[in-house]
Amino acid sequence: MSETLEVDVLIVGGGPAGLSAALRLAQLQKAGGGEPLSIAVLEKARDAGAHSLSGAVLDPSALRELIPDCEAKGAPFAVPVHRDHVYLLTEKSKLPFPIVPPPLQNHGHVIVSLNALVKWLAEQVEKEGIDLFTGFPGREVLFDGSRVAGVRTGERGIARDGSKKSEFEPGVDIHARVTIFCDGVRGNLTKEIVQRLDLANDKEPEQYAIGLKELWEIPEGRIEPGTVTHTLGYPLLQDQFGGGFIYAMPQRRISLGFVVGLDYHDPLFDPHMAFNRFKQHPFVASLLKDGSLIRYGAKALPEGGWNTIPRTYMDGGLIAGDAGGFLNSMRLKGIHLAMRTGMLAAEAAFESIRAGDTSAASLKRYQDKIDAGPVRAELYPVRNVHQAFGYGLLAGLMFSGLTLATGGRWFENLHGKPGHKRMKMLAWYYGLDVPASRTSNATTVDRKLTFDKVTNVHYSGTSHDEDQPSHLLVQTEVCSSICGPEYGHPCVRFCPANVYEIVREAGKPPRLQINASNCVHCKTCDIMDPYQVITWVPPEGGGGPQYNGM
Amino acid sequence: MILVVAEQRDGKLNRATLETVAAAQALAGADPIKAVVLGQSVGASAQELADAVSEVLLVEHATLAVYTPDAFAAAVQQVVASVKPAYVLFPHTYQTRDFAPVAALRINGTLMTDVTGINGTGAGATFSRPMFQGKLSAEVRHQGDGPRCVTIQIGAFRADAVKRGNAGPVTPVAVDIDASTIRQTPEAPFKEAKQAVDLGQAERILAVGRGIKSQENIAIAERLAKAMAAEIAASRPICDSGWLPMDRQIGSSGQTVAPKLYVALGISGAIQHLVGMKGARTIVAINKDADAPIFEVADYGIVGDLFEIVPALVSELEK
Repeated sequence: MSETLEVDVLIVGGGPAGLSAALRLAQLQKAGGGEPLSIAVLEKARDAGAHSLSGAVLDPSALRELIPDCEAKGAPFAVPVHRDHVYLLTEKSKLPFPIVPPPLQNHGHVIVSLNALVKWLAEQVEKEGIDLFTGFPGREVLFDGSRVAGVRTGERGIARDGSKKSEFEPGVDIHARVTIFCDGVRGNLTKEIVQRLDLANDKEPEQYAIGLKELWEIPEGRIEPGTVTHTLGYPLLQDQFGGGFIYAMPQRRISLGFVVGLDYHDPLFDPHMAFNRFKQHPFVASLLKDGSLIRYGAKALPEGGWNTIPRTYMDGGLIAGDAGGFLNSMRLKGIHLAMRTGMLAAEAAFESIRAGDTSAASLKRYQDKIDAGPVRAELYPVRNVHQAFGYGLLAGLMFSGLTLATGGRWFENLHGKPGHKRMKMLAWYYGLDVPASRTSNATTVDRKLTFDKVTNVHYSGTSHDEDQPSHLLVQTEVCSSICGPEYGHPCVRFCPANVYEIVREAGKPPRLQINASNCVHCKTCDIMDPYQVITWVPPEGGGGPQYNGM
Repeated sequence: MILVVAEQRDGKLNRATLETVAAAQALAGADPIKAVVLGQSVGASAQELADAVSEVLLVEHATLAVYTPDAFAAAVQQVVASVKPAYVLFPHTYQTRDFAPVAALRINGTLMTDVTGINGTGAGATFSRPMFQGKLSAEVRHQGDGPRCVTIQIGAFRADAVKRGNAGPVTPVAVDIDASTIRQTPEAPFKEAKQAVDLGQAERILAVGRGIKSQENIAIAERLAKAMAAEIAASRPICDSGWLPMDRQIGSSGQTVAPKLYVALGISGAIQHLVGMKGARTIVAINKDADAPIFEVADYGIVGDLFEIVPALVSELEK
């Protein structure tokens, strides 16, 4: 029998959305008075912010609304953006865009470490007396019929063979009048409720990308802090969505990364190798020369936009932030939308609880607030942009331009296809000439500029207790029988952390080895596996990356 | 004066304590070093240190018989108050990590943990400690006027480098600890049976990696381990496949070791493995891939087929 805890509002996920929701609830409580609400925030990372990874250029509008004196309170803005560059990369050179497209103009925005921002937000939340349970993942949703009744946290102390270790602790059942799901991109709980309650049946399929990022320290004087650079083109092909970013921060640090749409066709493509190739481009390599890698990380991004957002309200529950897909892929920004939807979810939860009715009909006020305010105003006009890139880079760019010119007043919605279904089988993509190398875009790894995945994982600070069951539930019977011949085991390539490995021993069929303790919690495997046989569930609380400064 | 807080179990000092004495000798210059041994009936442990420091303080009290953070912090507080050391050095063990922070706070000291190097001697010394999982090493110095507390990372100094001279005195020191102020009630200590190996104490380690190819071949490595009187250990894939128990895993998710001799058999040398063994004094690598990163840290390297080399080594050693 699990222990139980009763709260008024349970927030699952201590990222920008969840912490903004918590803080907004505390503010409403102060302003409105009345019986104080009990609030709990669950976070799977050992410390607030440890799993938070982003570029990141922050549009501070939502933060300033939530905490008007945020700068006086020490909000960790690394540096304001001074200058924007957008380049189209070819293999050896770069062509500047004649003008920086308006969505990529970052005047008034600031470069931040999302890890630092989340840590700081968590401090503000704790100052309000709200309990932040770090190291506790939400493992499953508790239902009362079709009503969301709360969440059960993960057990601790289960050995790899499933037996209970001496330090075993069962999960805790947290019952709440309203549960706000802020479990991030492809959140395991949001995935569960969307399926069970059929919240996405009339929506476009969600589209994702994977972002890989490194933090570097480079020699003095290379690039002025506050310079924001985005690139398109090399090393991606015309039909691959994505691009690079380089954000210059103070103290000789730069944040650089590469985003690849998880809808590429080539089953032998490896996003991590694309990142390595990006770093080998003369423009990037010259910036990094004699510098050193400090941190590495990877995270999926919800890129699908407005038409892919599931119904965000249900009996006893709300969805906010990346979990719902609130990200503007044209501006490459989602933190402010996560914060804003978190705040709106808090307002809706507060009003519904005060009205004594937390049914879906009452919580629908959350969707109304989204529709009436800046979230829809920002996302609706660009609702088709990502889908347009499904027709290639040029089509995507032209469409983006048209969207800007018309304000998105489009007659019809463009339809997308789930990214994992766009991956082609080896025979379809390569015909009879399947490359012998198992990675089509492999490049050299010198462990100075470019790294293998295992070395990169080391720099993500990832650690998990080895003696626990795998938190990646894989139906491995398809691996050697179907997936190998059809797709050549793409999990080995799309995972940025070497979790999946095909071990070939003489005289035996290839065997999938799951190095679960390498997992950086990016969720790419859950998204991109062509047979949808990988399910990501949270490992024992506290395990995962340590994204200090990311 | 430097005070070393020794750690003993069942009357036997651990190696980390001797390493901490070696660190104290590096830091001391001309300053005297004292060691304090805490426990009940632990005179033998005190004698072990007598010829390595100028004086051993023997603190015996019923409340110290079994470790509790409250009793140990109180004892350290009282000893520091009476001998007024400039530095207090602890071995960076689980026990130290448990009580040193509170002890440092009580003596108004500044605590610097996980130190791997000492630069200079006496009051002007600075200390190295790893950051970003060993990627960076920070050079730090203490601030404040209180005692400067330092915990010494395992394997950072060599236990066999302790300089010994004439035996100094072992002086009993009385402490006053009220049993009712101890908030913890320790259960009898126990060891999980399967975690019987402590690779951290092994002088020679033979570690096996993926190059061993199959579980049946582990026996080949075990023969070599026996011939060289080494503990057998492994890199992650081997333990992950269940070919050797998980408590024999070396590296960032296993144990950190610093033996005199480390033989890496078929280990490529991923950084996760290297952080667990690069403190070994002599590293011998056997690998068929000449570009394997293990050779970057190895003192001796053999590029070749381990299935030919190992039997040759065994027959030579068995002669």
